[in-house]
Parts: sequence; C-alpha cells; structure tokens
Amino acid sequence: MKKKNKAKAAIQSIATDLLFWIYIFGCFYYLMHKWTGFTAKLYLIGIAALIATIIFQLVRGSIGVKLFLSAGKVKRSWLKSVWGYLTILSLLITFVVGVNIVGVDFYKFFTKFQNAGGIASGIFDPSVTGYSLSSESINELKKDDLPPDVLNTLGGIQNRRYSTKKVFIHDLEKRLGETTFQEYKSVILKSAEKNTELLNIALSALAETIFLALLATVFAIPIAFVLSFFAARNLMPRTWLGNIVYIIVRTIATIFRSIEAIVWAIIFSVWVGIGPFAGMLALMIHSIASLTKLYSEQIENIDSGPVEAIKATGASTFQTWVYAVIPQIISPYLAFTIYRWDINVRMATIVGFVGGGGIGLLLLQQQQLLRWHNVGLLIWLIAFVVWVMDMASAKVREKLVGM
Amino acid sequence: MKNIIKLTDVHKIYDSGTHALKGVNLEVKEGEFLILLGLSGSGKSTLLRCMNRLIEPTSGEIEIDDENVVTAKGKRLRKIRRHIGMIFQQFNLIKNMSALTNVLSGKLGYVSLWHAITFSMHKNDVAIAMSNLKRVGLDKFAKNKARNLSGGQQQRVAIARALMQNPRVIFADEPVASLDPATADSVMRYLGELNKNDNITILCSLHFLSLARKYGTRVVALKDGNIVFDGTPNEIDDKRFKDIYGEDAEEVEIR
Repeated sequence: MKKKNKAKAAIQSIATDLLFWIYIFGCFYYLMHKWTGFTAKLYLIGIAALIATIIFQLVRGSIGVKLFLSAGKVKRSWLKSVWGYLTILSLLITFVVGVNIVGVDFYKFFTKFQNAGGIASGIFDPSVTGYSLSSESINELKKDDLPPDVLNTLGGIQNRRYSTKKVFIHDLEKRLGETTFQEYKSVILKSAEKNTELLNIALSALAETIFLALLATVFAIPIAFVLSFFAARNLMPRTWLGNIVYIIVRTIATIFRSIEAIVWAIIFSVWVGIGPFAGMLALMIHSIASLTKLYSEQIENIDSGPVEAIKATGASTFQTWVYAVIPQIISPYLAFTIYRWDINVRMATIVGFVGGGGIGLLLLQQQQLLRWHNVGLLIWLIAFVVWVMDMASAKVREKLVGM
Repeated sequence: MKNIIKLTDVHKIYDSGTHALKGVNLEVKEGEFLILLGLSGSGKSTLLRCMNRLIEPTSGEIEIDDENVVTAKGKRLRKIRRHIGMIFQQFNLIKNMSALTNVLSGKLGYVSLWHAITFSMHKNDVAIAMSNLKRVGLDKFAKNKARNLSGGQQQRVAIARALMQNPRVIFADEPVASLDPATADSVMRYLGELNKNDNITILCSLHFLSLARKYGTRVVALKDGNIVFDGTPNEIDDKRFKDIYGEDAEEVEIR
C-alpha cells in the first residue's frame, strides 16, 4: 500500500515537472520567435523539458518534488529554495508572454482617445428628441420670403431625421454656409419639428428586454426548482439509481451553464428566428442551469436536524421534502431568483446583439449606422434600468435574508 | 411487564471504519424511564438512531413492540417510526414555521402528502395539536415562529410534536444538553409526566447523574460501544461513575 503511494507520488512529481518545463521552454520559444524570428523543431522543446526535468528531479529541488515528495532529502541546503526561484521565473515569463499575446499598448490608450470622440459626444449629448423639417414646414417657409437657393437646399433635407438639435444646426451650417444660416436661423429653427420617435422605439425595446428577462426567469424557476432536488447530494439516496440521477442532472446543468447565454441566443435565433423569443429561450436555458446549481447548493447547506426529526416521525420522502427541506430553502431561493432576474436583464441586452431582440438589437443597429447620439440615448437607458434593477434586487435580497 | 424493546447483538460500523456499537444486547420493559449514560462518542446517539433506523445498523436484531425493525422497509418502516417519538439536543424544529405547524408535523406518519400540505384545514388535527401544546404549557405561543421561542420552549414544542405521534416509546438524545439547569429540569419533568401518566416508555441519554437519579427508573451506561453498567440510578457510586466517565471525572450536581 505504502509503496504504491510512493510510486504514485513520484509519477505525479515527474509529470508536474515535465509539464512545467514544457511550458517554460514553450514560452521561451514563443518570445524568441517573436523577437528574433528564430525557428526550431517543436519537439526540441519536449527534449529540453525532459532534460531539465531529469536534472531538477536528480537534485530534488524542483516544484514537483516540493509538491509531492516534500519528505525527500535535499542534498545541499541552497537547493531547498530552488522551487521558489522556479516559481518566480514561471510567473515572470507568464507575465511577459501575456503582455505580448494580448498586445498591451498603453501609448495607444493615452494618445488615441479622439477615435472614440463620436461615441463620447453621443453619450454626452444623447438623442432624447430628434429634429427634422417636414415637407409641410418647408411649404410654410416658402411664405416667409426665403431666397430660392436656401429653399432648394432645405428641400434637399426634407423629412431627414437628425438625432439632436446640435447635429441639425451643424448640418445646416455646412449646407448653407455660416453667414446665410445665421441670417435665417431663427425662422428655420422655428419651423423645425421635434420628435421622440427614437425614444418611443427605445422605450418599447427596453420593455421587451425587461419582459423577456422576466419570462426567462419565471419559466426557469419551476424547472430548476424540481431539478435542484435531484441535484442535491444530501437528498439523493446513495443507491445506484440515486447516483445516476444525481450525476446526470449535475452534468447536464454544468454543461448548459458553461455554454454562455450569447451562444444559446445564436442557436435559438436560427431555431425560432431573430427576436425576443429567441433571447428569452437563451436566457431561460442558462437560468435553469445556474439556478439548478445555486438551488441545489442551498439544499446541500440546509440544517440536517429537522430532516432527521421529520423522518423520525414516519414521514415519507416527499413529506420530508415539503416539511423539512422547503421551509429552509424558500427565502434563499427567492433571493437567488431575484438576483437571477437582475442578471437576466443585463444579459438580455447582450443577447440582443446576436438576434435576441430587445434593446440590444436596437443598439447594434444604431451602432452600425454610426448614429452615436442615438447610441448615447440607448446606453443611458440601459444603464438606468440596470441600476434600478440592481438596487431593487439588493434591497429585496436584504429583506429576504433577514427574514 | 412485557418487553417493548429487544436488541440482540447490535453492531454499527461506520463507513469511516469507526466501530460505534460492539454487540449491544438490551431489553427494555414497557413503562421504563431508561437513562443512557456515557461519554460523547460512546455510542449513545448511534444506539438511539439505530433503533428507528435513522442510522442503518450493520448487524444484529432489533425488535420494538413485536415488530422487526431491521428488516422493515418503506410503509412498514414508516408505521414503526410513527409510534416512536424522538427528541434531539438541538430541538430540530423547522425554525421559520409556527409552533403549531411544528407540532402538526408529528402527525406526518399517519397522513397522505396532500393531507399534510393542507394540515391547517383539518380541524381535528389542529385541535389535537393545540391540546398537546397546552400540555407543555405553550398554547399561547401556537402562532409564534419556532425561531422566536427560547431553547426550553423549543424543546417543549418538540415534546408536543412527539406526543402528536401517539408514541409508545420516546427516544430523547441529550434533550437538555443545550439548556440551562433550571430549564433542563422542567423539560425532564415533562418527560417524566409522560412516562407516568401516559405510560410511554422513555429512553433518554444524559450527562447529569442528578437528573438520572431524579427521573430515571433504570440506568444503562455505554463505553466504547459496549454496555458497561445496567442497574438502578442509586447503584451508581463514585467508583462506577469513574468506570463510565474515566478516572478524571467529577460528578457535577444539578438541581
């Protein structure tokens, strides 16, 4: 028995060192290749790693020895801390390789801000009301003795929607020339019409987002509720059937949870078509998986005392669940569910980008049209709703946990 | 008096390898108030839980009220359990439910799932639960949540819950270990009353010899999974006490 353990530890130690050195030499090779264009056969990394492993195993100072064979004797005292230097070396090289792979460039970060100027101006001047000149108002202007070339120019932009007053003025200035525009500014601005078309669309898209998140949560609750009992180790009997059910439910939940909602949204937007229903399905699947996990962990954390007591009265398994398990989990369940709704509202905007409907889809469209002032409005609306949801869910959870 | 409990060579070996019961033989007569003494880890809790199969015994025979407990499964096991009330050191009430609901839950072994969910609509059950609460002096607290009751009150609710089962036997696993001495005595007094007036056989594990002498009719002591003493409370002198609890033990008085 003891011998077997020793052999196992030795194998683990050697495998750890081998992987460590393959990683270190791999990183070295990457950097050399990037900086000097140096190339070599890749198997040489393996050979170098093998040699390094053998050397460091022999002097017994490597990380693998430290982790798995710590009882082993060290020949020279300074070798005791070799594993520490190796760790520092690996952290440093990881950092350098990381910076290279990511392409960290703070110079760009500090000098290229003007590239984001469009978005920034959109955020600081969101399009709450749009501006336009309708054909009727241009007809009105005709009575005001405007010169024909000005009327002609205005006719060219009739019914065109501008995001904000500023954009409207800026464009007219460009078209008419500054002096001409200043001359007729007050007349033109008086006939220009405000409209809240975008705000209306945005608000209805926002409602779509909130409701799709709500429905995704509501549909997920009963399914996750039932599944969580089968995914709780302490409730599933330790028979082969119990184990199989437990493992299947757990595995499926884990797989479904590790696939991001955005991926589900891509799948469902093909399946049922682009729109809020696809987004709802995506969030629902993801919610079921994560609520099952959260719920079942809650069940695993319950006080086993009442369960024992109820069982001792002669209650059946289901009665025990109803009387001893559910009362203990109901308020954390509610807290998790509200938190999940909060998360779903946030995720709903993201799944909108890939065809999940709602305000995310609108944001994508406006961004692709480079209408930064419209984008600005949508960003503010999303931020506001997320902030309200966050506050509300925190308050409600506080109340529930204190119950 | 006839035997109500009969244990023959009961062993319990846990998965961890701990040999908690090493062949326990015990016969309990109807109406006895039996006190189980012994250090923590001597096997008292394991013994009580084996008798209603909250823990599966590894081997041996257990008979309660002429029913074979060891072979019972499903419905039969539930039927055996419903005549055995159980009281715990930590009370084990459902904390965010009312005292009344907690008492009603003692009836679960008799009713269907649907009946259990709609308990409050069954006037008969509620009336019995209320009278049981009254017996332990808590009828005024019926609507209070269990978590808002004091330790002694919670343990009395637990006694009322056990009463709801119409028990022939009550197992009490250190029922007073988390209570102060005065409350402990009052809880023991309720158990003593049930023993005398309702002829319920009681098996109760304790650490206080004074309470054992006051309420017990018989004392059984466990040490390392074996019965090392079986007799009346008054037979336990200083030497026997040290046999059970070890050389360094001093008896603590509680009144």
